[in-house]
Amino acid sequence: MSGRVADAATNPGAHVGPSRLAPWLAMLAAYAVPVFFVLAPLTLFLGYSFFSVDQGDIVFTPTIANYVRFFTDPIFLPIFWRTCLLCLAVAVLCVLFAFPVAYFLTTLRGRRRYTLLVLLLVPLLMSYVIKIYAVRSILGGNGMLNKALLATGLIDQPSMLFVFNLNAVLLTLTVLLIPFAVLPIFLSLERIPKALRHASADLGASGAQTFWRVTVPLSMPGTLSAMSFVFVLAIGDFLTPQMVGGQSGFTFGRIIYSQFGTAFNWPFGAALSVILAAVVIVAIRLGGHAERRHGGAR
Amino acid sequence: MTGLKHILGAAALAAGLWASTASAETLRVLAWEGYADPDWVKDFTKETGIDVDVVFVGSDDEIWAKIKGSEGKDFDVMAVNTAQLQRYIDADLVKPWDLSKIPNQKDVLPRFQDLSKITGMTRDGKVYGIPFCFDSIGLIYDTDKVKTPPTSMSVLWDPQYKGKVLAYDNGEHNFSFTALTEGIENPFQLTPEQLDKIKARLIELKPNVLSFYTTADEALQIYQNNDVALIWANYGQQQLKAMQKAGAHVAYVAPTEGSLSWLDNWAMTSGVKDESAAAKWVNFLLDKKVGAQLSERTGFGNTVVASANANDKDKLVWLESVEDPLKRSDLWNEIKAAP
Repeated sequence: MSGRVADAATNPGAHVGPSRLAPWLAMLAAYAVPVFFVLAPLTLFLGYSFFSVDQGDIVFTPTIANYVRFFTDPIFLPIFWRTCLLCLAVAVLCVLFAFPVAYFLTTLRGRRRYTLLVLLLVPLLMSYVIKIYAVRSILGGNGMLNKALLATGLIDQPSMLFVFNLNAVLLTLTVLLIPFAVLPIFLSLERIPKALRHASADLGASGAQTFWRVTVPLSMPGTLSAMSFVFVLAIGDFLTPQMVGGQSGFTFGRIIYSQFGTAFNWPFGAALSVILAAVVIVAIRLGGHAERRHGGAR
Repeated sequence: MTGLKHILGAAALAAGLWASTASAETLRVLAWEGYADPDWVKDFTKETGIDVDVVFVGSDDEIWAKIKGSEGKDFDVMAVNTAQLQRYIDADLVKPWDLSKIPNQKDVLPRFQDLSKITGMTRDGKVYGIPFCFDSIGLIYDTDKVKTPPTSMSVLWDPQYKGKVLAYDNGEHNFSFTALTEGIENPFQLTPEQLDKIKARLIELKPNVLSFYTTADEALQIYQNNDVALIWANYGQQQLKAMQKAGAHVAYVAPTEGSLSWLDNWAMTSGVKDESAAAKWVNFLLDKKVGAQLSERTGFGNTVVASANANDKDKLVWLESVEDPLKRSDLWNEIKAAP
């Protein structure tokens, strides 16, 4: 009797323990991967961004010099804004191209619809570098596009409009990122109940009216998240500008990249990455916010 | 039957292992691919009775990590370039050579005869590096588009080649070669005023530049799809040969103001076990037959027989570490960002 009482008194947690621990363990398991592989590296970056470099060695004394440099040095802000604008243009273009494709997909029935969708996503299986190389041989001064334009007589000498400049970066990023825009738009279009469109028609709306007043607004969540998705992918890219940007297509990603190569200025590179991460987070929040607002209204 | 084979195999393996541990000397070599080919190693062992263990490296940093990590004790000889050699000397990780043990060094090409003339090869009168392999960074030009062979890198600024120049994406080298075109004696130690001047020159180069490339393959692909007349050839003869093989009508010139050139040397680590074995290895590689094979197989220049990589009268400027790599890289970004 006394033994049992003592047992319960000294060891109260023994009974409740497993049931209380289990959710904690599950949560730990669920969070461990993102914490170790996402949060920890990001925190490390944040930490590094407050250090500095002297004669090739990292100085571990906290300083905000890197951030001050970003905002005061005349070269970084213009490039930064230019890059943001470029990626916004990429996002808009991708959506403009992806929307009709996604819309067309929803008009297809059954197996056909998903076969075509998979075909659209096939390029994602290819190496990014190979795709850039391919685009480069299309866009070159003597590339396929110029040769085709010359052959059709549209131009009489090779056009340099899209050869190794910011336009080339814009075009390449758009082409490479369209699949990423098709998917979310397709999903949001697919979720629109047919009944709504039928109701609109029953109430006397024309096809165009139904499209602009019912389909487009209801697809907004997908369209906006597609935009933010593409924007984020584009702004983090340094390879495309490096390979098709030539001497004038210099972007923020290339500046960050250069800090980790020959310059060996990790702290400054980290600070620039933190700024980029902030922009990315804002873009994702905007996309998500729009999705919730529009999604909620439905 | 198969059982017997296995036993024999195992015995042979054991014997082999025993032999390799029992052999009196094993020379431990750290080198780039192509610097210690198996047939040379075999001949060397046959000639001297010294076994050789070769470890290949892929980057300067990897060599540093391996040598510094063991304080030089894991290897006897290694191949490093002139610019890199300095930090090994500073850190006491290398030992000077006794040239009398390397008789073949007396018969090398004229430009490698006097080692004191090659910056960074000697310190306090002692020789730390024996030149072995080199190449120049010259100019590749399209023979159909450039009628008169250029003589200087300053042709890159010629307005008639607007948008037809392929430049290399590396601030350090670009500052050095531009400094040479400006007649600056030491392109590796530039004053702040000189850096500003060179920066302005490089910004002036931009309208002529189609793109900045990083690998030889990339340059070739751009060349094939665009109207390119001039290429700043970071990969030297190798790059030229690859382009010619792909059917391009191109030729190579070493600019009269001097071509930046890299030079790899054999250095002896401070942890060397047998100095005479190390010297024998280097002496063996300075053989005329090995030198010719080195150039034939890699496309790089060797120090003992003449190769396409440099005429005796070409001015080669051996690469050195620069005054401030970080500064040059920042300036290079400013140049690229300039409108």
